[in-house]
This record gives sequence, structure tokens and C-alpha cells, in this order.
Amino acid sequence: MQQQDIENIYTIEDSQPGEDGQRNDTMTINMGPQHPSTHGVLRLILTIEGETVVKSVPDIGFLHTGIEKTAEAKSYHQALVLTDRMDYLAPLCNNLGYSLAVEKLLGIEDEINDKIKYARVLLAELQRIASHLVWLGTHAIDLGAMSVFLYCFREREMILDVFEYISGVRMMTSYICPGGLQAELPPGFDAKVREFTSIFPDRLQEYHDLLTNNQLWLERTKNVGFLSVEDAIAYGATGPVLRGSGVVWDIRKAFPYSGYEKFDFDIPVGTNGDVYDRYLVRMLEMEQSLNIVNQALEGMPTGAYRVNDPKIAPPPKWQITGSMEALIHHFKLFTEGYRPPKGDVFVRTESPKGELGFYIVSDGSANPYRMHVRGASFANLQVLPRMIEGSFLSDVVAAIGSIDIVLGEVDR
Amino acid sequence: MAMTATSTVEKVRQKFPQAIVETVEYRDEQTIVLKPEELVKVCSYLQKDLQYNFLSSVTAVDWPERIPRFDVVYHLLSIPNQCVLRLKVRVGQRREEHPAVPTVVGVWPSANWYEREVYDLFGITFTGHPDLRRILMPMDWTTYPLRKDYPLTGFDLPEPHWGGQVPYDTDPGVGNQTLRSPGGRELNESRSHISQNQEPGTKKR
Repeated sequence: MQQQDIENIYTIEDSQPGEDGQRNDTMTINMGPQHPSTHGVLRLILTIEGETVVKSVPDIGFLHTGIEKTAEAKSYHQALVLTDRMDYLAPLCNNLGYSLAVEKLLGIEDEINDKIKYARVLLAELQRIASHLVWLGTHAIDLGAMSVFLYCFREREMILDVFEYISGVRMMTSYICPGGLQAELPPGFDAKVREFTSIFPDRLQEYHDLLTNNQLWLERTKNVGFLSVEDAIAYGATGPVLRGSGVVWDIRKAFPYSGYEKFDFDIPVGTNGDVYDRYLVRMLEMEQSLNIVNQALEGMPTGAYRVNDPKIAPPPKWQITGSMEALIHHFKLFTEGYRPPKGDVFVRTESPKGELGFYIVSDGSANPYRMHVRGASFANLQVLPRMIEGSFLSDVVAAIGSIDIVLGEVDR
Repeated sequence: MAMTATSTVEKVRQKFPQAIVETVEYRDEQTIVLKPEELVKVCSYLQKDLQYNFLSSVTAVDWPERIPRFDVVYHLLSIPNQCVLRLKVRVGQRREEHPAVPTVVGVWPSANWYEREVYDLFGITFTGHPDLRRILMPMDWTTYPLRKDYPLTGFDLPEPHWGGQVPYDTDPGVGNQTLRSPGGRELNESRSHISQNQEPGTKKR
């Protein structure tokens, strides 16, 4: 692209008096990339007329880290670690999507036992609650409710403690991996999760008390950032943004994966498609997620934590000292990795942000030939101009918060 | 009868026999490989008549040894019928720098950003796209990082405005001059001790 073209895009036009002597007072302002309520490094080029947004052009790419390119140089197991870094508020959901895609490519879906499935669902739903808590906290602080932020992070910390307990890491756990889980769930895991699930309903009620009927909150969120059903579908919005507009669509119900068909839960939907509806959808989703966590905890079967296939999952450590076979498998796995057959798969999962898709192409070698990630935030951000054009400048902040973007996933 | 991916493939085959290059089924996923010039016609049919109202993603795969070189991949979803379909288009003749594919923005508006991403990272142009600009890479980037011939790491960057390697011992704001504190102490002392030919992070030869 030529320098002139770049200037044409970002030129700030001085308003000149028109024929009637009145100035056409539009002004172009920059919001971000370091504005605190753009939730990361999103830049919006807003053309405003008085307080009204006439046009908005999102500018992304400040956090582009080339994850798709890097993955091509890693083995399948190493690339798992990269997926943590995309939607860094829901790393386990990314792990789950990636693992399902690799397992489909390997053709070992049927070997994944119920124990692994239940553990995955449990962790993914805990992660959904954690992700929604960060959203709620930051969304509320953007709109002026400081205390909610502190409460939300207090509860999120309990979930991160559970993750630390099982994997030793708070956020980038990579705990769900192709072939099962990285390690056995430690003893006392149930108790730790129950500690959270027993207090969380009260805490959720606390947030409802603070916000749901709060007049200030209603005025900032009702009839703001409106998104119609047609626009939501046409522009590729998914997850709570799509459901907030009234579309009953959840990948967990439509294409159940990892045993979601065995769980009993509802899909909350909104009616108006405004910021308040998206808020309510996420609040109700947390309730449903808690419900799923409880069901998974009650029904957790016993079994191995990874597939019994030494070509994919490393053999137990105690075998390595005694068995030559096990040692060779261990060595081959960690120096080379596994080689899925030629082909390509696309696996959709319902991440907290929406539809997270992994498209993986294998050329028969030990590295993914191509890994494309359909980031939910990327597509959801695309509808932002439809939400905010014509509304007030202060509502832009509310609209951005209601999409719940994570720039790590937008830019990848 | 409820629409499924398999029945969709049959319907497209009956309706547009000339548009299909081949159909592939792998791991229960249906793929239709189409001719680029027929893409928009088939997409409109899928969107209007078969209710594929949602475009999940557009991406590309680079096969440098193959002709045509690129696969452009579309993942479709039908929310009313709960089924999915993959379309592929193969483009890129020998030494063709910017292969062209007709845009599907007119069929699914969400393709706007997806196609910009493919253009940005692969250099495939989408004819008729309303706003074909780079989206993730900087505006003045000149190459296409997800092509297989693009290096994963390396010092000799082909960006002309950087002039190859970034000079590590000169700061754009300072140049080669020595900065001194009011007391006369040299502020960028460490920098002035590195010779022009020295690699960063190595001991002086």
C-alpha cells in the first residue's frame, strides 16, 4: 500500500463552513490503542458530530503475534501451548478446541473415555465462569461501578486457585491436551471445586443485587448498542452477542462435543439485542455453567486420564525405567511427536466469547501444516460499527464492554 | 427432509455440475472444491435456497509446490438446519504474485474482515471487495507472512523502510552523537562502546 493511500485513510478533515455559513462539525478522534476501556490494544477511529458517532473504523493488529505461523514450526503437542495465549482469559477452552481438532485428525475420538470428557467439561465451564467474571468486572468498571470489579476478581481468584492446584499454573495451564489431560486430577480436587460452587450462587446474587435493577446501570445499558438478529448473523457474531439478540444458538447444543449431550442445561437468550440483554445472557450463563460444573462433579466416572495409546500419550514414568518399548515411545514422542494422516478438519467449540473454530491441515508430518483459528472475538468485533454508529460517544464504551473482546484472540 | 451436508453436496452437484472440481469427505466433513469463477453463484444459492446463513471463517492454505498454489477455504454453517459445509477454491498459477478470487462479501457481509485477513497474510486479492486493506500487519508492510516461503525468523527483513537489519547501536532520536549529563558524564556510554560490526549481545572481538 502506498504512503498516499495510508494518509487518505487517516486524514483528519478540517470542517469548512458550508453554503449556509454553518460549519459541518464532524471531528475525527482516536480511541485507543491505549485507552483503558478498549480492553487491550484496540484502536477505534471515530468520526463524531457533537456527541454522536457518525462513523467508526476499528484498527486492530497491535497484538498480532503470528501464532498461526509459529504453530507450523511446532509439533502438535508444542502448538498446544500457543493456544493458551490467544484468548488468555479462557485458555482451557482454547486447549479443549485444539485438542478436539487434533484428536479428530488422529481419529481417536472414540478412545477418549468419559472420565476425560467429564473433567474437560468441568474445567471448561469453570473457565467460562472465570472469563465471564473478568468481563463483568471490567464491563462494570468501564461504566462506573468500581466495587463489582473487586468482587469479581475475588471469585475468579478461587477458580484460578483450582487451576493452580491441578496443574501448578494459574492461567496458561495447557492442562487439556490431545489424548486426554496432562496429569491425573489430584486428590482433594473435588473439595476445592465444591468450596467454590457452594459460595458462588450467593456471590452471583450479590452481583445481581448490585447491577441488575440498579437505575444507573439500566440507564447506561438499556437500549444502547442495539444489534438486530439479521445483522448479528450476517456479520458473523456468535456466543452471547448472538444470543443477546434473541437467536437460540449454542454449539454445545447444536453439535455436542466432549459429552455435552449428557448434561442438562439451558441456553439463555435476550430479546432486544442491547447491552443490557448481553449482560443478562452472560449472567444467566454463569448460572448454567455452575449447574454443569455440579453435574460433572457428581457424575465424574473413574478411569484413565489419557488414552492408552503409546503413540499419542506418553507411557507412565514408572514403565520407562523397566520397559525398552516404553522408553522408545517416550523418546519418539518428545523428540518427534505423532504424525496424523493427511487431511484437514475444522472443529467448532463454544468458548466463552462465542464460536471458536480450529482448522488444522495435516500433510502427514509431525507439525501442523496449517493451523487456522476462527477467533470468536475477531468476528464479534466486526459488528461493533453496526452497534455504535448513530449512538452517543459514551455508549461506545458500553458497547465494547458488552462484546467482551480479548485482543489476543482478535489479533492472534 | 432435514438438510444435511451430504444432501447439500448432492443438490449442488445436480444444480451446478460444471462448477464442481471434486468433492471430498474426510472425518465426516464434507468439502466441495469449486471453480473460482463459479464461487459467487454457488454461494448465493447456498445462502438463499439452502439456508447456509452463517459464514464461520475464510482462510487459505499455501502449497508452494502445487499448481494452483493456494486453497481458499470457506466454512459455512446453517443455523436453521444445524449443518456445516466446507468450500474450497484453488487459485494461483505459476509466478502469479496476487491470485484473485471473487469476493463473497455480497453474500455474507462477515466475509469483509475474513477476506482482509487472507489478503493481509497470503496476498490473495478478492475482486470486488469494498475495503481490501491490511488488517493485522502494519499498513506499510510489503510481504505476506503466512506464505510458506516467508521465513519464520531472520535478520534480513525485506521491508524497504527498515533498510534490512535494524541498526542496534543508533537510536533514531539520537543518532551517533554522545549524550552528556550536565555534569559531563556520558549517558549513552554503553552504546558507544559497541562497534558497528558487532552482533548484539556478543563480547567485543
